[in-house]
Amino acid sequence: MELFNPAIALANLGPLLAGLLLTIELTFVVIVLSLVFALLVALGGMSRIRPLQWLVKAYIEAIRGTPLLLQLVYIYYVLPEVGIRLNSFTAGVVALTLNYSAYISEVYRGGIQAISRGQHDAAAALGMTGALAMRRIILPQAIRLVIPSLGNYFISLFKDTALCSVVSIQEVLFTAQILAAQNFQYFTLYTVVGAMYFAVSFPAARLVGYLERVTRAGYARRRR
Amino acid sequence: MSGSQGPPPDRSERLMLEIQDLHKYFGDLHVLRGINLSVKVGEVVCVIGPSGSGKSTLLRCINHLEVAQRGCIRIDGQIAYRDGNDEKSRAHSNRRIAAVRAEVGMVFQHFNLFPHLTVIGNIVEAPVHVLRRSPEAARRRAMELLGQVGLADKASAYPEELSGGQQQRAAIARALAMDPKAMLFDEATSALDPELIHEVLSVMRDLAERGMTMLVVTHEMNFARQVAARVIFMDEGRIVEEGTPQQIFGAPSERRTQEFLRNVLGH
Repeated sequence: MELFNPAIALANLGPLLAGLLLTIELTFVVIVLSLVFALLVALGGMSRIRPLQWLVKAYIEAIRGTPLLLQLVYIYYVLPEVGIRLNSFTAGVVALTLNYSAYISEVYRGGIQAISRGQHDAAAALGMTGALAMRRIILPQAIRLVIPSLGNYFISLFKDTALCSVVSIQEVLFTAQILAAQNFQYFTLYTVVGAMYFAVSFPAARLVGYLERVTRAGYARRRR
Repeated sequence: MSGSQGPPPDRSERLMLEIQDLHKYFGDLHVLRGINLSVKVGEVVCVIGPSGSGKSTLLRCINHLEVAQRGCIRIDGQIAYRDGNDEKSRAHSNRRIAAVRAEVGMVFQHFNLFPHLTVIGNIVEAPVHVLRRSPEAARRRAMELLGQVGLADKASAYPEELSGGQQQRAAIARALAMDPKAMLFDEATSALDPELIHEVLSVMRDLAERGMTMLVVTHEMNFARQVAARVIFMDEGRIVEEGTPQQIFGAPSERRTQEFLRNVLGH
């Protein structure tokens, strides 16, 4: 018996592609949510309001100090016991967003703090309030600095969505597990799944590398 | 040019800037030790002195980039800073501070142009978002100012495409776009290559001739000699001596002024 069975691969391609689509969908929803939420977390952490600083710090440390897998099952299995019942897709989105936002907020913070004092001075000297300067002067420069890091985080997020199989989201890995339980074609199915992840991750990583080069070049170079 | 850059050089005795007994500490370091200084409307005052003498700090205190600990600052008769602000008055004073800053233009040693915006984008940014001018009006005014500083052809360039002298001229245009009542120059030519200094100084000279009230911290003694109505020599947080350029450069009466000038002028 051969290990890789093309006929089996082809026969199961439909459900696996559907799973991949859900994986991608999950990734995109979490990217959008965590881009926004992480920014709020970063700004909260840098605000002058002490309790807000503490809250942000506690949140970031709690997330960084526990496994993502635990955070997932906690939200899906433990929260219902206190009356918060989320369907599996929502639970996955919430867990991944909370997890990635903690890391991404630190990326944002680094980017914001990398903008020189002179930029703050110039904005202030023109009569801009702190909030206006942040929105118009500091953030546009900071975000440009952090685009490559964000890209790397999102590629790793794409792969981490596989953990959502434990809360029975039918993403591509869970789909393969279900199929394999019926036909025992582990080699074929998991090889196809691996190829699928790679087929998305690899070009995405190349894209991030390209963005890294583009953002390193100056502002003027970009338009040529 | 339009008449909106402050009144013509009326020789009235009206004060644009009045500083009384200003003190500033950085921790234990007493960097401003009781500064008293006034600048009349349309007057150009140059501040000279060794580095670390508190010249830049003085400028930064005027528009609240640094907060002084004691004293009083009036701009065009309005109190811009006064000590003893309790927490309550400080809370609502953030708005006042922004208003003061919008009235006083500042030019920095390192230009501090916004690198993500084109030259014209830099100039219209604050008029549109702080003064709420229409983008069209702001652009029109910006083009006027770019003509004035000799950069009309660089409107859509990014700062990184410009030489240091061009960047500083753009930064001057950006400050002027707020129609400030006075301009502060913080060593505006110190970061420039020698051959680029004159183009910035000539823009500043032109501005002085148009009647702008200017307080200029500088190491350019020739500029101070030729353009300033008054020269102030600062050392160790104090104003040691002030007078006309003729007095200061021709016959300084204080020993420390004499030493400083001997060192910088090399004779």
